[in-house]
Amino acid sequence: MMAHTVDFRIPAELLTEMRGWRTKALGIGVIGALLSAIGFFVAGPNQFYRSYLWSYIFIVAISLGPLAWLMLQYVTGGAWGLVIRRACEAAARTLPLTLLMFLPIVIGINNLYPWPHAEIVNADPLLKHKAPYLNVPFFLARAGIYFAGWLFLSWWFNKWSAKEDAEGHDAVHSKMSRMAGPGILFWGFSVTFMAIDWVLSVDPKWFSTMFGLLFIASQGLTAMAFLITLMVLLSKYRPMSEVLTHRHLHDLGKFMLALVMVWAYFSFSQFLIIWAGNLPDEIPWYLTRLNGGWQFVALLLVLGHFVLPFALLLSRDLKRNFKLLASIAVFILVMRFVDLYWLITPSFLKQSFGLSWMDFTVPIGLVGLWLAYFLTQLEKRPLMPVNAPHLEEVLEHGRD
Amino acid sequence: MKKSIYGVMAEFETPTALVNAARAAREKGYRKLDAYTPFPIEELSDALHLHKNRLPLIVLIGGIIGGISGYLLQYYISVIQYPLNIGGRPLHSWPAYIIITFELTILFASLSAVFGLLALCGLPMPYHPTFNVPRFALASRNRFFLCIESTDPLFDHDKTCEFLETLEPREVSEVAH
Amino acid sequence: MADEPQVIDQPASKEIIAPGYTFGTVTDQIAAVVLTKKTPPLFWLGSFAVGFGLLLLFLLAVAILMVKGLGIWGLRSPAMWAWDITNFVWWVGIGHAGTLISAILLLLNQQWRNSINRFAEAMTLFAVACAGMFPVLHLGRPWLMYWLFPYPNTMAIEPNFRSPLVWDVFAVSTYATVSLLFWYVGLMPDLATLRDRTTDRFAKFFYGILSMGWRGSAKHWAVYETASLLLAGLATPLVLSVHTVVSFDFTIGIVPGWHSTFFPPYFVAGAIYSGFAMVLALAIPLRSAYNLKGLITDKHLDNAAKVMMATGLIVGYSYILEAFTGWYSGNVYEEAAIWNRMTGMYKYHYWTLVACNVIAPNALWFKKIRSSPVILFIWSIIVLIGMWLERFVIIVASLSQDNLPSSWGRFESTRWDWATYLGTIGLFLFLFFLFIRLLPMISIFEVRTLLPQAKVKEEQPR
Repeated sequence: MMAHTVDFRIPAELLTEMRGWRTKALGIGVIGALLSAIGFFVAGPNQFYRSYLWSYIFIVAISLGPLAWLMLQYVTGGAWGLVIRRACEAAARTLPLTLLMFLPIVIGINNLYPWPHAEIVNADPLLKHKAPYLNVPFFLARAGIYFAGWLFLSWWFNKWSAKEDAEGHDAVHSKMSRMAGPGILFWGFSVTFMAIDWVLSVDPKWFSTMFGLLFIASQGLTAMAFLITLMVLLSKYRPMSEVLTHRHLHDLGKFMLALVMVWAYFSFSQFLIIWAGNLPDEIPWYLTRLNGGWQFVALLLVLGHFVLPFALLLSRDLKRNFKLLASIAVFILVMRFVDLYWLITPSFLKQSFGLSWMDFTVPIGLVGLWLAYFLTQLEKRPLMPVNAPHLEEVLEHGRD
Repeated sequence: MKKSIYGVMAEFETPTALVNAARAAREKGYRKLDAYTPFPIEELSDALHLHKNRLPLIVLIGGIIGGISGYLLQYYISVIQYPLNIGGRPLHSWPAYIIITFELTILFASLSAVFGLLALCGLPMPYHPTFNVPRFALASRNRFFLCIESTDPLFDHDKTCEFLETLEPREVSEVAH
Repeated sequence: MADEPQVIDQPASKEIIAPGYTFGTVTDQIAAVVLTKKTPPLFWLGSFAVGFGLLLLFLLAVAILMVKGLGIWGLRSPAMWAWDITNFVWWVGIGHAGTLISAILLLLNQQWRNSINRFAEAMTLFAVACAGMFPVLHLGRPWLMYWLFPYPNTMAIEPNFRSPLVWDVFAVSTYATVSLLFWYVGLMPDLATLRDRTTDRFAKFFYGILSMGWRGSAKHWAVYETASLLLAGLATPLVLSVHTVVSFDFTIGIVPGWHSTFFPPYFVAGAIYSGFAMVLALAIPLRSAYNLKGLITDKHLDNAAKVMMATGLIVGYSYILEAFTGWYSGNVYEEAAIWNRMTGMYKYHYWTLVACNVIAPNALWFKKIRSSPVILFIWSIIVLIGMWLERFVIIVASLSQDNLPSSWGRFESTRWDWATYLGTIGLFLFLFFLFIRLLPMISIFEVRTLLPQAKVKEEQPR
């Protein structure tokens, strides 16, 4: 019917537009990066690395989260999956950049974590106990395993998807969906241990079994909010203007709502259990984060990361309104930054709340550079998988 | 003058025929009409302009009442009526009160949904004139009915029957009170 | 009044409904199970007899419990929670699949749910009824169970709202109520069908009253659809909250091995895992006995098996993280609790449950296994056993060996533990097979919407 009349290649006008976005992102990214580099010498390396760590965790979420959605949509099917597939693939192709951006953390490992310091470890039996896990070589080896897996998955799904575009669906058959299940499993485990390694071990005495799940949920949420923003942005131009309908957006909005709820559920459960237990090896983590000014950040998270988006996203009409949904998605992305800041920074500033100007320049620099690279990747392929099975049904599903 | 009846009813074999008939009847100007089907049909709700209803509002109000009363119940009992120091936790232990507040929100909202559904549908109603049509028993099996009620200003026994006949139903019958 | 012939034998299908069905034949085939005057099949008679027999055993066990007291169970200090709470958690967990199928899959537009939601919801209700028996009997004086609720009383005492056990009272009773309402709302149109199909005067009256005079009006359907979606939206967080609250019963206590922050999602995953196992364990024999392979197709079994596998993998993830964090925490009690589970008094239980819940679900990666009903049935039983053992080990292993070695002790079950547990299985089977006989086990009106004929063909483009 109408399906074949849509040309999914990126038309020239959108291409110029995307190049424009890219230039802007690159410019902002370079400025942010330069300011941060200056900050490294002015404000000191400690501040630089602290700002870098939490900003970097956001970059991991926004580049790796879409890979998880990519794999999930191969398992479940559904129209929403086809629509976001290309954006997810492009985000997954930015993982080499994410690996490159990991280098400052390796270099700054002594500034960030207490456990690489022999004198601290030797003075503390608890850290000594954890030394077989928390030591520099094993830390790097684990990071190597995570990145190897992520890069492999990104390569695999992009390779077979490109083959599908070129040679038709029969050429790939179930290659992608077969890898998706094990891929999600690997993603779940790797994100859990990544959260323990890179984030939890900043405060090496504290532990919580929920921590990995929190990061799994928030990666999904970050990715979905980003994808919704991008889809709405692209929906103004051909070809997505002819593909994307409020039904697709409604589905994506439902996922965002679900993840907002899951995030709140995980966060509250963890808090309630530790609050009620009130044990000396657990509660200090929350005491730091609920005192000295940090409690206002926590309150902001309760309202901005849960109550407000939850109440708004309940509305069916809102989930079908492109502009409103995108504004909520952007708001959630901002809240993701706040959440990461609240999770990580109090471990360095145990006394009271603090915010450095580097906490603005570093994330802006990283996100700008990442976005520029993402847009370079996005323009390489048509915006929809042209030979995917059920493509016509998907296009039909959207119309009514 | 014929004795007063509830309306006239046409029987169709497929959902498509019924939806088309409902659209035609709306176009003709009939407003007091209802369709009877063995399963929900989205297009039929469109054809009869039935999309908005007040149930979400009822449920929202029910949920809010449930949540507030759940929290106040716990607050009143634990802080005012029967204050007990348990493990040094504050009397007003709000994190602990979230759970029951949540449960009562859901409970009240669900009860509002079910009783709201019954109220908006006017159920239970064991007797209804449509049950007088012998073939109407098939409305819960495999037949689709369209009924134009006699209270419609355009209703005229013969003309309405004639109109329904033009929609190619399987059968047109009178619905007695 | 049947003006179309009944088509009963339908081939198994790879789709969610076999081809060739009409509105009339699906109605007749599902309604016939209830309305037939013939003796039910041997499968029904046998299952009902087993259920009834075990129900009598349950009544006996409860009677003796009332006379002699809780001492007839194996509860001895330090393990004052054992089979009773294990059974409670096991049954509540099983109850999760019904609401999950009817609510979450409805919100996700998964149409395959339409032919299994009814009996899964019934399963939920009966499982929750069985679950409720245990905490109530465990009270010691079950006839005073209303003390659990806050109400003005002459003793001038009130429940402690900071206790997870009180949260549980609210969570489980809300869950039972909402599940019942959801199930009943779903039944109304089908009760009307039975009212219109039956020739028996008594049955007509019975189903007529229960159907509340449902007549399939388009106006009613519009509200009905809204109500279903709203109830599904409410039931989804509710069902997650129930097992979350059950997990709080443990985590809020600071017993080593219980106080772990990810218990809520871990318990929910385990609940869905065992719930889908029970769905499979019931669906596979039912569809054979009643020739429903065209309605409950291999596709349904495959999907249910996939959900079971996915949740099983989450459970496996939890075991691994639990063991890792036990060590990583550096807390001697946590470490000892995990170590005792693996090598202590209950090590055989522990390794059996690892085999059932971590290793066994991985077989479901293979399509061959998922497409064999017999293997799936066996697998679902393995999962049910594994999940029972999981709860047993969490509860009993932690209580038997907690912080103070001088008060350690081993729990031994008694014959009355067995009798009460088997008795609730009897209660479950008894209620479930009564339901099969008296109410349509598949949602007739929702299956009608699956038929290709149900699509309205657009003649003129709008």
